[in-house]
Amino acid sequence: MDFPEVVNMLRFFVRMRNFGYVDRMGNALTYEPVEMAILEALRAFRSIHESAKTDENDRKYIEKNGKKIYLPRIPDEEEIRTFLNAVRKDMSVAKRVATLALAFPSKGGEE
Amino acid sequence: MFLSVGVRFEANVEALNMVETAGNYTKHRRVPYLVEEDRKLKTIYVPAISGESLAHAYQWSLVKEALAMNLPVCEDCAKGEFFKSMNKAHLKKKINPIPDDSKKIEAAIIKSCIIEDVGGFLYAEKPPVRRSSAFQVSYALPIKSMALFATAEPQLHARHAQMDAKGKKGNVSEQMIYYVETGTALYGFTFNLDLDAIGVSSLGAGPIIPEEEIKARREASLKALFRMLSSAQFGAKLSRFFPVGGITELTVVVTEHPFVVTSPIYDSYVERTKKRLEVIKEAFGEDYFFDSTNEVPEETLRKAIEYLKEKGYI
Repeated sequence: MDFPEVVNMLRFFVRMRNFGYVDRMGNALTYEPVEMAILEALRAFRSIHESAKTDENDRKYIEKNGKKIYLPRIPDEEEIRTFLNAVRKDMSVAKRVATLALAFPSKGGEE
Repeated sequence: MFLSVGVRFEANVEALNMVETAGNYTKHRRVPYLVEEDRKLKTIYVPAISGESLAHAYQWSLVKEALAMNLPVCEDCAKGEFFKSMNKAHLKKKINPIPDDSKKIEAAIIKSCIIEDVGGFLYAEKPPVRRSSAFQVSYALPIKSMALFATAEPQLHARHAQMDAKGKKGNVSEQMIYYVETGTALYGFTFNLDLDAIGVSSLGAGPIIPEEEIKARREASLKALFRMLSSAQFGAKLSRFFPVGGITELTVVVTEHPFVVTSPIYDSYVERTKKRLEVIKEAFGEDYFFDSTNEVPEETLRKAIEYLKEKGYI
């Protein structure tokens, strides 16, 4: 289970040079910091979604240093639930997701 | 001489340390915190105020006290921009040409700026020169026994946006709503000041400025702390989120060698500090000053300054 929507959301923050969420998840030793990081990341991501601009293809983006950064979709409830349950069972899942978010996307991603 | 202060202050509905703005949401700084509940340890997240935030306020107070006492403050620090001689461009304002000897660089910086003398600096060029801060400040964190009651609560605000004739301006609607997280807690933090480090080289070159000026700089450093605490001019967003509350307890210790008050996050910190001081007095025969109050904190600070004056230290 790679949780692509969580990874994409975290990758968006990495592209914004906001490493806080990915670092907190990657370095977490217990479940609580991961849950808190996901809660805060989702809250911030939703807020960014609401204030984002929309291009001619109806894709949401924000501008940073004159460059368009497209927003991935908001992770769905089911994926978040599965992710949190998986982390509760095995902490290494959080580290794996954080590591993937830091990597270059394999296909179809923005970089 | 080493001064250590433990402060407890109540701050209701404050936004003293904001960390991030995402869209219309501004977040308060929060940290994980260990508390014991039903004889088990657990992690909770509590509102916090960083040491950096408090240190900035202290240094800004120091700028004002130093200028009032005619002590040197460099051009950058006088504006509240604490670049701390970080590169050639900033250092050249103090010494030009820049020498190759790190001791000469340190001396030039210390002579021309009390803020960098007391607050330390890092000249990150060749040769790199670093000076540790003579003062130390912890994060302000909710006290242990009440940490579970600390909260961070988002408050809704609205700001009027100017409209064009059609009633819309781009994506802007008439009322922009935004949320600011406010923290509420009984906070505790520790502040230390190593008076022996002021005006003295950290590279082993001894005193850099005359004894009289060192004394004046020590006095300015103490006054700055006094002023910062009594005016509560620390943290951000004071213009609309000035915290409701104030200092509830303050403990000051002055010792010959470094000694730090027991952290005010513990309920028994005053008694524990006293006991520790007694042991040190018995073991090493060293004199100390101790005072604690939950009434008028300014009075305690004044007594500490008088003690240092009696000792001929300022």
